[in-house]
Amino acid sequence: MIATALFTLGIVAAVFLIVPPAEGLGNLVRIIYFHVPTAWLSVIAFFTSAYFAARYLRRLEPSDDESSARAVKIGFVCVLLSTVSGAIFSKLTWGAYWNWDPRQTTIFVLILIYGAYLTLRAAVNDRRTRAKVSAVYSLLSVLTVPFLVFILPRMYFSLHPTPLINSSGSIDMDRTMLAVLLAALADATLIFYRLMRR
Amino acid sequence: MRIVLEGVRLAFGRAVLFDGLTATFESGRTTAIVGANGAGKSTLLKLAGQFLEPDAGSIKAFDGDRELLHAELRRRTAALAPTMNLYDRLTATENLRFFAGLRDVTVDDLDGLFARVGLTAEDEKKLVVEYSTGMKQRLKFAIVLAVGADLWLLDEPGANLDEAGRSMMLKEIARAVGERKLVLLATNDPSEEAAADDLIRL
Amino acid sequence: MNGIKILTVLRKELTAGLRHRAASASMLMFALTALACMSLALGGSPLEPNVLAALLWIVIFFASTVGLDRIFEDEAASGTLTTLKVYADAQSILFGKMIYALISLSALSTFLLPTFIVLFDCPVAEPPVMLLTIVFGLIGLSGAGTLVAALSTAASVKSGLFSILLFPIVLPIFLPAINLTSAAMAGGEISLTMLIPMLLFDAILLVASSILFDYIWN
Repeated sequence: MIATALFTLGIVAAVFLIVPPAEGLGNLVRIIYFHVPTAWLSVIAFFTSAYFAARYLRRLEPSDDESSARAVKIGFVCVLLSTVSGAIFSKLTWGAYWNWDPRQTTIFVLILIYGAYLTLRAAVNDRRTRAKVSAVYSLLSVLTVPFLVFILPRMYFSLHPTPLINSSGSIDMDRTMLAVLLAALADATLIFYRLMRR
Repeated sequence: MRIVLEGVRLAFGRAVLFDGLTATFESGRTTAIVGANGAGKSTLLKLAGQFLEPDAGSIKAFDGDRELLHAELRRRTAALAPTMNLYDRLTATENLRFFAGLRDVTVDDLDGLFARVGLTAEDEKKLVVEYSTGMKQRLKFAIVLAVGADLWLLDEPGANLDEAGRSMMLKEIARAVGERKLVLLATNDPSEEAAADDLIRL
Repeated sequence: MNGIKILTVLRKELTAGLRHRAASASMLMFALTALACMSLALGGSPLEPNVLAALLWIVIFFASTVGLDRIFEDEAASGTLTTLKVYADAQSILFGKMIYALISLSALSTFLLPTFIVLFDCPVAEPPVMLLTIVFGLIGLSGAGTLVAALSTAASVKSGLFSILLFPIVLPIFLPAINLTSAAMAGGEISLTMLIPMLLFDAILLVASSILFDYIWN
């Protein structure tokens, strides 16, 4: 617990003290260290929820249902934070909060799915039924992600910077920035793990 | 067929309905489950037919020594309960043929079957919405007879039936037991209770 | 899976549906109301194909939810669902009801599409592409809709839940469908390969529904 907190403090310090302002983006670049890890977590949480959903349907253990629901709750918070930070970054760099580029579409769909899942949970009273229908919905919705991430982006034009590792396999980023970003991702994953174990 | 319940526990919220319930039901016997309202008679039928999972303990169905899979058990189960309704907008015959069809059964002697449960040939073509409660109960029982299941879960089978209807029901249950069917009866009716081979008082 | 049992379920749905037309009538009238509403609001101003395509699919989606959310709800309300769960196996019910849903959605579209074309003076440069897109779209809607209807029936608060649950699931069909419909209206270069992602997702939805429905039914 303390290790995670120290690690997080270290990352925050690194973001503000070590990372150089990026060419063209200036100090705005620091938003990335918040935006990318939260986006990463919202996707990780999504698949974690589906994993526990499948395990619930297999074994019918209430603890699996709780884990699945907890992952969704964490993911929902992360996806909201990521969307807001992304929109601010977008406004400051491209002049518009929202432009429906494929990555924004994907993350918006995640908000819809998470919201629908939580609404469904709130609407079912019986514990077993709730666990069963939420597990089924979680697994059904996870199927849409590959389509929304891999297929639809090829049908539209994107403003979003290419992901860290682009199609040619080369890494196109300052070394310090990359190191800090990777550390931030590791830290976010650790925080997620801690929250899930609680 | 044999159904074995071992150490079954079931609770709805804080209300514990069963705890450490153990019972065995055998083919060729009728077991009556009696008890006050809310004691869990219907719930026990649902557990025995594996329509409901217990919180703890096990419920297994066997054919000889072989344990039946959930789907196999379901195919061999027929049930009758006040909460089970029929399609109002279909005729009696359509209802019967539909539910029998779901079990791959074609009903050849329709008149004979209707007569057995005390319905006339004229009733066959009526929409179920025109049926009285007692007639619906008879039609639901005709479906139980038609599908030829090995396990009969009867929840208050005599409900809404007249004297003739109740004696028809008891006669058919006795006949089913003679055909080595397993009959579970949730009831508060003394004559049904008296007709059973075994008794579980909740 | 058993074809005869699927047909038994389908025949029951058709008989009950034809005797009680409230469900199909409300679906139809909803589509008509939505069309009239948009047509009046826009006052006949000419629209780009991509806007037309989006409008068309929005009407199709919401009109379908008006009919599809009753797939299991009517049975639950009338108490026939318990009887059905005793006698029917999951797969016959799922596919029987799914085919019925597809038939009602096709009937709806047969009415909706010509009305839409007339009201919005909508060009159709490539009718075959348009038809195929709609058919593939309806397959996905009825496939996902049947499973989601079973989920929403378990809920105590139902109003609006069905559309909330269904929309994210059908987005991978919805977005390419709008694109393709727009292209089919405008004409020009359309490759039929663009239909492949839709077809693929339809197939995935059917397989997933079939696997997942077992868990809900039992």
